[in-house]
Amino acid sequence: MASASAGSAAGSSLRRSRPRYGEAVIKGLLLAAALVSVATTVGIVASLLPPALRFFGEVGFGEFFGGTEWTPLFKPPSYGVLPLITATLTTTALAISVAVPIGLAAATYLSEYATPRTRKVLKPVLEVLAGIPTVVYGFFALTFFTPLLRDLWPGSGEGPEIFNGLSAGLIMGVMIVPTVASLSEDAMSAVPQSLRQGAYALGSTRRLVSIRVVLPAALSGIVAAIVLAISRAVGETMIVAIAAGLKPEFTLNPLQAMQTMTGYIAAAGEGDLPVASFDYTTIFAVGLLLFVLTFAMNFLSIRLVRKYREVYE
Amino acid sequence: MTTTSSRLSTSQGVPVTGRPGGAGPVQPTVVNDAVEGPFDLVDTVFEVADVSVFYGDYEAVRNVDMKIGKRRITAMIGPSGCGKSTLLRCFNRMNDLIPGTRLGGKITFHGEDLYGDHVDPIEVRRRIGMVFQKPNPFPKSIYDNIAYGPRVNGVKRGLDDLVEEALVGAALWDEVKDKLKQNALALSGGQQQRLCIARTIAVKPEVILMDEPCSALDPIATAKIEDLMQNLTRDYTIVIVTHNMQQAARVSHRTAFFTADVDREGVRHGRLVEYDETSKLFTTPSDERTEAYITGRFG
Repeated sequence: MASASAGSAAGSSLRRSRPRYGEAVIKGLLLAAALVSVATTVGIVASLLPPALRFFGEVGFGEFFGGTEWTPLFKPPSYGVLPLITATLTTTALAISVAVPIGLAAATYLSEYATPRTRKVLKPVLEVLAGIPTVVYGFFALTFFTPLLRDLWPGSGEGPEIFNGLSAGLIMGVMIVPTVASLSEDAMSAVPQSLRQGAYALGSTRRLVSIRVVLPAALSGIVAAIVLAISRAVGETMIVAIAAGLKPEFTLNPLQAMQTMTGYIAAAGEGDLPVASFDYTTIFAVGLLLFVLTFAMNFLSIRLVRKYREVYE
Repeated sequence: MTTTSSRLSTSQGVPVTGRPGGAGPVQPTVVNDAVEGPFDLVDTVFEVADVSVFYGDYEAVRNVDMKIGKRRITAMIGPSGCGKSTLLRCFNRMNDLIPGTRLGGKITFHGEDLYGDHVDPIEVRRRIGMVFQKPNPFPKSIYDNIAYGPRVNGVKRGLDDLVEEALVGAALWDEVKDKLKQNALALSGGQQQRLCIARTIAVKPEVILMDEPCSALDPIATAKIEDLMQNLTRDYTIVIVTHNMQQAARVSHRTAFFTADVDREGVRHGRLVEYDETSKLFTTPSDERTEAYITGRFG
């Protein structure tokens, strides 16, 4: 600090010579940025709650979670949300069964097998896949993949319907592959080289080093990647709205048309429901359920990561 | 060799526990006197003939010739960047893992070309183990660390005995026998390094390469590892790279002194200057660069 030799008042020479307003401004801006997402979350809950509460004032939890028919706009209406849940479960399970094996295999290749040169080319290409708008995937599923499935269907039955959960779920899985691959690859690359060397020095093959040393050490990051993938599959809207259909069916059969929670919200939100009507509140009830599910999932992922985080430090 | 005897006498105060049949403190043998007869009569494990090691176009080590004797401790010393670690990593083909590494000349292991077409580097590393500078236990239990090598090599039965045997052999058994399921990272640095040695001998290799195994350890842990090395020479051939000249003088039978030459373009190349029995190299070195280094005038 500049000394007080300039003849300033006889006070402390260690005092700040001039105020630093910049620091305070920057700190305020950064805090505001951090608060945006918190405020948004609070805002979403605040806007979801009143209509959802109005809905649950009229429809009991028993009917909502127990009913197997979702026909809120029919007369008489039925408010069983299970068909939407089974549809979400079916498409999510299909998506994860595609995204996790392929994503992990791609991550293992990039992190453990690829030469630096190959990785430098492949990883950006893979990440570009994550930037394709989901509406494109939706039409790809509906106009290319579903016809292909129907043509190649080996069974004696009719095969998938025009709108079906299978095609939507599988294409959704392809969409999520880059997320799983990229996050898992980050976690695997972060495993210290010394662990790999130790394993190689004991006569391990590359395969054994990957499976027995790198994968377990990177487990926290991989679990986080998978949970994020599940959250994305549960929340994905466009693909299921386009390719899975608009018919709420209480079924786990992926060959049928089905409507997911997000699919219902999109379809009903697009429709001409009067904003103040009771029917309109159904959107918020399903929205709240979706919010709680994804929130629980993210919470779980944070807990899991925290539990395993320190393994190799 | 006053340093040797004084150093060894202090290490007597640190009994090596858990040796098979070991009763009371171990009397370390003064290994430099234990070399029986001339070196030519010792079986040769490695023969290094005109070896150069390249990283891409860069020649890190140039024209090295040396022989490594069976059940001997061979030390490689020299200033940083003289290529001693690079050469060590050629003995179990760890350098294969660095893209662009190339070897000129020939290294044979019991007469067999280590870099021959039909040689499997995995098998090489199973026979020639390695302990690293920084202890690198896996983030698993103590038991699983030791069992890792046998498991990847297909051993399924008798793992308990193998684990105990390896831990006893690395003088760690008494300290960890009640907490085998505990995470290995909870051990102290010195214990971790002995665990890494135990992990290596669990594979039953013939040779153990050590790349500055004590540089991250305190003097007491270092003394334990040095005692352990002496015991290991009953069964194993050890090649150790060390920055610590006293350590080389204390533990090794033969010492190789490396240094780096700077060529006309200013590029450094590692070279073997002198290789002799440790007692001779440290008392009457024949090369003036060796003398300058061991007396502390350089490096």
